[in-house]
Amino acid sequence: MAEHPQALKDIIDLCAGLAESERREMLISFADGAARQAPQPGESFDLEDTRKDEECTDTVGVFLRIDDGRRCHFRITLGPQVQTLTRAMTTILCQSFNGASPETVLDAPADFVPQIVGAELVRLRSQTVYYVLGRMKSAVKVWLNRERAASA
Amino acid sequence: MNEKIAAYAHPDVLVSTDWLASHLDDPSLRIIESNEDVLLYDTGHVPGAVHIDWRRDLNDQTVRDYIGPEQFARLCSAHGITPDTKVVFYGDKSNWWATYAFWVFQLFGHRNAAVVDGGRAKWVAENRTLTREIPKPATAVYPQPAARNDAAIRAFYHETLAHMQAAKPMVDVRSPGEFRGEVTHMPEYPQEGVLRGGHIPGAHSCPWATAANPDGTFKSIDDLRAIYQSGLGLNPADDIIAYCRIGERSSHTWFVLTYLLGFSSVRNYDGSWTEWGNMVRSPIERSTT
Repeated sequence: MAEHPQALKDIIDLCAGLAESERREMLISFADGAARQAPQPGESFDLEDTRKDEECTDTVGVFLRIDDGRRCHFRITLGPQVQTLTRAMTTILCQSFNGASPETVLDAPADFVPQIVGAELVRLRSQTVYYVLGRMKSAVKVWLNRERAASA
Repeated sequence: MNEKIAAYAHPDVLVSTDWLASHLDDPSLRIIESNEDVLLYDTGHVPGAVHIDWRRDLNDQTVRDYIGPEQFARLCSAHGITPDTKVVFYGDKSNWWATYAFWVFQLFGHRNAAVVDGGRAKWVAENRTLTREIPKPATAVYPQPAARNDAAIRAFYHETLAHMQAAKPMVDVRSPGEFRGEVTHMPEYPQEGVLRGGHIPGAHSCPWATAANPDGTFKSIDDLRAIYQSGLGLNPADDIIAYCRIGERSSHTWFVLTYLLGFSSVRNYDGSWTEWGNMVRSPIERSTT
């Protein structure tokens, strides 16, 4: 099974030792940081994919740049209705996968989500936390297809 | 009471954000936040509001059912609620879970209850105070209700089947794509284990959001009459069942039909599509409109 990037491992390890109330505080702190993951002035991207859901999760924009060293750099925008856990996971994913190879992002197993979120907060309706990871992987997949097509 | 609320059939079950703001210190009230977002309350809430979580606090943790009278009494007591306390619900998602919690409280006969028009989103949009301070109300004594009274406002599978066979009115409040059977869940939401798509034969499609304004408030009495009475042809005396996927969106419609329009016999089929769409040989209809 593919390994998680070190930054993600560090967050998983940190969560493992937290009491439930501390875990909630940490997740809220990550959620508060989600706005800082948005594109900054002057940045350009290889891929931009913004979609609005008609009923529930609001708009999620994924912006991907891959540098000359094949390292991923993600920016994410979230609409105001996106759930707190999803916002928290956005910060965690951006911090964890910025600088990772496209293959690392694509192969990342999703098992870290319950390890970070904890049993109390894991529930079916909270699984939109997987949505941002799925969108990041989709963006990487498109970029890899383009890379393959360009080298063919 | 504002003019819009006063026009509803039972205006006592709806309060405005203005009203709530002027009653934050009212000791006869307990303000309750109920959300889909499991961390939203922790990020800040209406001052004095306690948190009731639909899954942890209102659902039985083993069987797919609601808590029983003993657990309900314990829940209320822990939150300082007595049978005389007016419980005022608000929440995210245009009050899906607030109306769901309100509905569960009605299963136990707690009539002194209301919902905040516009819910959490309106309170926030008006830049009203939020706090992260968790209130610690003194434990109260809530006598254990004799029973949970499901019959009047809750429909089970076999009752819904009989209702369908009798060609009585049903309202499917899911999104149009779910009704048509194109998808078995809301866009971008997890698949909650439904094997078949479509709707209960004969059900009207009327998504819950039809009853809500963009700011999450309920539409006016005239607009609601136009939607449900002129549009769907429902009558206040009809025996009606509303359903969605797990019963929360249909709680919103149940609230609208029962309290805002004053329909006398509306039940929420909380088993909804996750039960109907999985039941062997359940009749299912698909449509393209």
